[in-house]
Amino acid sequence: MAATRRLQKELGDIRNSGLKSFRDIHVDEANILTWQGLIVPDNPPYNKGAFKIEINFPAEYPFKPPKISFKTKIYHPNIDEKGQVCLPIISAENWKPATKTDQVIQALVALVNEPEPEHPLRADLAEEYLKDRKKFSKNAEEYTKKHSEKRPAD
Amino acid sequence: MSSSDSENELSNTPPNIIQLAANTTRNLLPEKSRERWIKSLSKHKTGDFRSISNRMLQLFWFGKKTISNSLSIYIKTNTGSTLSVDLDPNWYIKNVKEHIAPKLGLHPEEMKIIFAGKELSDSIMLADCDLGQQSVLHAVKIKKREKLPSQSNNSLIEEVEEEQGSKPLCEILSDLDFSTTESENSLNKSVSDTDEKERSKVHFYVFCPTCKSLKNGKLRVRCNFCKSGAFTVHSDPQNWTDVLEVKRITGQCENIPELCADNIPELCADILDNREPTFAEFYFKCSEHRSLGEDDAAVPLYLIRPNSKDIPCLACGDVSDPVFVFPCPDGHVTCLDCFRQYCSTRLRDRQFWHHPDFGYTLGCPASCKDSFITEIHHFRLLTPAQYDQYQRFATEEYVLQSGGVLCPQPGCGMGILADPDCNRITCINGCGFVFCRLCLQGYHIGDCETPETTNTDGDCSYNVDPTRAAEARWDEASRVTIKVISKPCPKCRTPTERDGGCMHMVCTRKGCEFHWCWVCQTPWTRECMGNHWFG
Repeated sequence: MAATRRLQKELGDIRNSGLKSFRDIHVDEANILTWQGLIVPDNPPYNKGAFKIEINFPAEYPFKPPKISFKTKIYHPNIDEKGQVCLPIISAENWKPATKTDQVIQALVALVNEPEPEHPLRADLAEEYLKDRKKFSKNAEEYTKKHSEKRPAD
Repeated sequence: MSSSDSENELSNTPPNIIQLAANTTRNLLPEKSRERWIKSLSKHKTGDFRSISNRMLQLFWFGKKTISNSLSIYIKTNTGSTLSVDLDPNWYIKNVKEHIAPKLGLHPEEMKIIFAGKELSDSIMLADCDLGQQSVLHAVKIKKREKLPSQSNNSLIEEVEEEQGSKPLCEILSDLDFSTTESENSLNKSVSDTDEKERSKVHFYVFCPTCKSLKNGKLRVRCNFCKSGAFTVHSDPQNWTDVLEVKRITGQCENIPELCADNIPELCADILDNREPTFAEFYFKCSEHRSLGEDDAAVPLYLIRPNSKDIPCLACGDVSDPVFVFPCPDGHVTCLDCFRQYCSTRLRDRQFWHHPDFGYTLGCPASCKDSFITEIHHFRLLTPAQYDQYQRFATEEYVLQSGGVLCPQPGCGMGILADPDCNRITCINGCGFVFCRLCLQGYHIGDCETPETTNTDGDCSYNVDPTRAAEARWDEASRVTIKVISKPCPKCRTPTERDGGCMHMVCTRKGCEFHWCWVCQTPWTRECMGNHWFG
């Protein structure tokens, strides 16, 4: 199966590259189609914590894009309460089989660090972000402290 | 293994002696002593006794056999006769000529052997010609070569004549020449000259309609006019374009005029008088089954190529051989497994594109421009069930794009091209269902979407509760489900299910891709975005 072979290779590459912003990658031996990991953002207000995500690869991967969901609650205009995220690089229209998972993760980290209020999933947060950045930052920081995972040591 | 070993061993001994001995033993000795006798005869040999004795028995039961591992070949002459001969693959063309010339009433020197567009020179070994069982060789009587009048030059000319003929085409062509479709191999040429030894023999892949699968193929040449294989090319094909397109390579047809004239006399005269050149027609045969004659052709799958450059697959990253090279400017490569998966994924989502010239096809998975697969036989790499589905979808898409409709009866689905002004459609060649073009329900007068009523005309014996009757209909469940959970695309009417996300819908049917609003069921507007983008 093409998906398994490619994912084994990609997983090995990502683990060897030692990404600082994506750590603690857990993959069930029996099911390489589901990955879990920790997003560790650099920018405030999210740099006070880490966020658990799950990447689900379809059996048709890489001819169909993976799906990403947040398992940790996050106060972010582009991520909804269910943890769904709208990432253009993995939308059905934009997806290319040659796109690698580390590119997807980097796009996700960039989106977490720099919200895009023009394409929101949560219109209320987008409005707050645009109209009252201070209030947004304060709320997001508190939310992060309360709900997020502990950042890895180093 | 053992049988071919023993064959080789036996062929060291002159066959007639063994045969004589065996015949004698059969006549004179009883079974047991005969075996003992054979044993003593073969004592000096180290081989397995049983296989030798089996071979001996075979010899006297199947009569005389002169050639081991023989190739059964048809020899065709340009006078229309065919000869069936058994040839030894280790023979040279010279031996072949000596073997068959007497049967044709010719001298070996006055004939030439033509195969796959080439006159074969005397020093070629048959085994190097990619011949298969029941392949056809063409034997042609040499027309008098023009000789210079001066005697002194004669010996020189004869030497030149000795050089007549060439290597078979399969030995001349290399994979490097066929790694590109267009003639851009000035670069390739310089590479191939430096490491001439590295040049690998050319590989072709075909879809064989007899084996019903991807097979290795053999390139063959015939006259594009009379289809005779007694044809020699003036120049070798340099790339795929030369092979796939007609009238690129000229050649000499050796077919005799009378046979040729049987076909199309008026054109023939032009060709015979050299007013019109004859062109080579290239075709392919499967190299893995016994040839079923000259019409036993196979479709070249020319996008499948040997991975001579060790390019990794675009999708899985593995380096495999052979690979599929997409016809995009970058020549993106996938392995055959990933190509199959790409096709089946796209097929299931109905994402193939109906191209007016090439048919129902796909482009490069990296979405390159102008990358459509123009030879749709490449989709034969799919499983037979998937290929059936491919054909059905292709037909349906053709009907829809031509403004036709598909019969909505479960299990029918007949494509119907009806008068565009008429909404009453009859499934003429299919199930006979008469339906409304707009709502795809049984034909009705007046507006569509009237609540369903059961037949209350008196020919029904029992009085059945109409709701019960409606629920009890075969396939009703799935029809209801589709009706409940889906909304039709406002443009192409394809039932669409919304699986989360916003209200901005994009029709997934390739070629429609209409942007519409799930709430309004109209084209997507800024108002929809402002009022109910997220519901």
